[in-house]
Amino acid sequence: MKCEWVHENILLHIYNELPDDARYELEQHVARCTDCAAELKAARHLHATLSQFPVQEPSPNLVTASRMRLQEELETTEQGGFWQRLVFDPGAWLRPIKLAPALAAAIFIVGFAGGIGATYQVMNGRNPVDLSSPTPTESSITGIQSISQEPGSSQISIRYNTVSTQEAQGSLNDQRIQQLLLFATRNNYNSGVRMDSVDLLTQTPNDTRVREALLYALRYDSNPGVRLKAIEGLGSYVKNDVRVRDAVLEALVNDSNPGLRTQALHLLEPVRADSSVRRVLQKLAENDQNLYIRSQAQNVLSQMSEID
Amino acid sequence: MPADAWAVQLAVGGCSHPDTSRGLDLSKQSQDPLPRGQMAGHSLSRIDDTLLVREAQRGNRAAFEELVRHYDQAVLRLAMHLTGSEHEAQDIYQDAFLKAYKSVGNFRFECSFYTWIYRIVTNLCLDHLRKKQVRKEDAPVAVDAQGEAYDVLSQVPDVRAGANPERDLMRRELGTRINHALDKLTPRERMVFELKHYQGLKLRTVGEILNTTEETAKNTLFRATQKLRGSLADMR
Repeated sequence: MKCEWVHENILLHIYNELPDDARYELEQHVARCTDCAAELKAARHLHATLSQFPVQEPSPNLVTASRMRLQEELETTEQGGFWQRLVFDPGAWLRPIKLAPALAAAIFIVGFAGGIGATYQVMNGRNPVDLSSPTPTESSITGIQSISQEPGSSQISIRYNTVSTQEAQGSLNDQRIQQLLLFATRNNYNSGVRMDSVDLLTQTPNDTRVREALLYALRYDSNPGVRLKAIEGLGSYVKNDVRVRDAVLEALVNDSNPGLRTQALHLLEPVRADSSVRRVLQKLAENDQNLYIRSQAQNVLSQMSEID
Repeated sequence: MPADAWAVQLAVGGCSHPDTSRGLDLSKQSQDPLPRGQMAGHSLSRIDDTLLVREAQRGNRAAFEELVRHYDQAVLRLAMHLTGSEHEAQDIYQDAFLKAYKSVGNFRFECSFYTWIYRIVTNLCLDHLRKKQVRKEDAPVAVDAQGEAYDVLSQVPDVRAGANPERDLMRRELGTRINHALDKLTPRERMVFELKHYQGLKLRTVGEILNTTEETAKNTLFRATQKLRGSLADMR
């Protein structure tokens, strides 16, 4: 019986999952019983043999590539919200209603009243959209035509199309102007306009929405000039913002434009002690196809030992 | 989150079980194959995760991406070891985090985020193993991101002093034998063995991830080990 118990628990003993008293009991028994000692030896041998099948760490390149692929997909993926829960987990919303008839009745009454109210509005021809509002909604903008700033003035003029072309004027701090600039960075087909908007936005990179837009432009804009403007605007945040640093690292590794990669390399110099930066630099110093980048990476790495 | 977090060894935290909260025990490195895979969870990362999950549930994509960074290296490591392919590991990674993103709103904090994300990943890996069994694939080679076949073991540099070609060849043969033996396990046995032996998780955590009890996980591990012992019986 004792030997049977030992055989059942040898595995837990090897994986350090036995409680102390059971471990002590097992060790005492094995010291006396040759059969169980042989069993323990065999189990340890198997454990050691299996451990020779190595677990590889994913390479930094694989991790970066996987993250970029995921980020791209997330750009176009909607989070499953209320409706998804309603469809896929009807129990979750039915449960409280089932258990609380008063709540169910209240929801019914509110819904009924809402329905009547909406019908009344429609019947009276009232339009819920305030057309006099000067603030454009993104869905109504079809494109930005041009952006200009008067020299020596904080006034910016933006011509944009809705159904017909419109023009908005205001300072950079104006919400409407900011909204149009942010829209232009992501949605315009004219790279000149994207360049102008990124250029203006770099004046206020403290705004998180602006920083997001600059990160987007750096990662996804097809025009190298726009990406260069974006990376310039983000430069001062490489040290303190991990997301900015990662985006600059991605640009350094993957961007097709050597000038932009060089700029990224210079921006990362102050944070070269960061292990992620160091790894990328080592990789570039070893086998980057661009001779200049390779030598610059070696140069930055060689300076590191003087600091660390 | 430290600035250099994405490149450091991942301490997969956020597990709510006290038995998984021990850190890396280097003294056992010679015995356990991968102590680095153990969850070195601590209260700080748990708090971090909770805040990030709540933000992600409000639709903050940056918060979700931060969560991804907490766990993605561990996910890739597990998927790579199970599938033997960088390409397939990347697909599992992509599917797992997209699924998590779409359904993070349904996460109710009934278990740790760590357990939840691992549940998604292990389910995808189990699907992969089942398909592989149906296909009866047992090639010892793996496929890299470019779609080219390579020997998994040949990718591991032999840095031991005095390494020689004969020993290297023996090591590769041993690896191939182990791979074959692991392929003979059922997908569930393979998964339990992977999580316990190679990823170093506690049996209780393995049970939680696989939606079963610690006792069942223990029995499955026992069965898997017996089978492996039978397959590798002639090896000394």
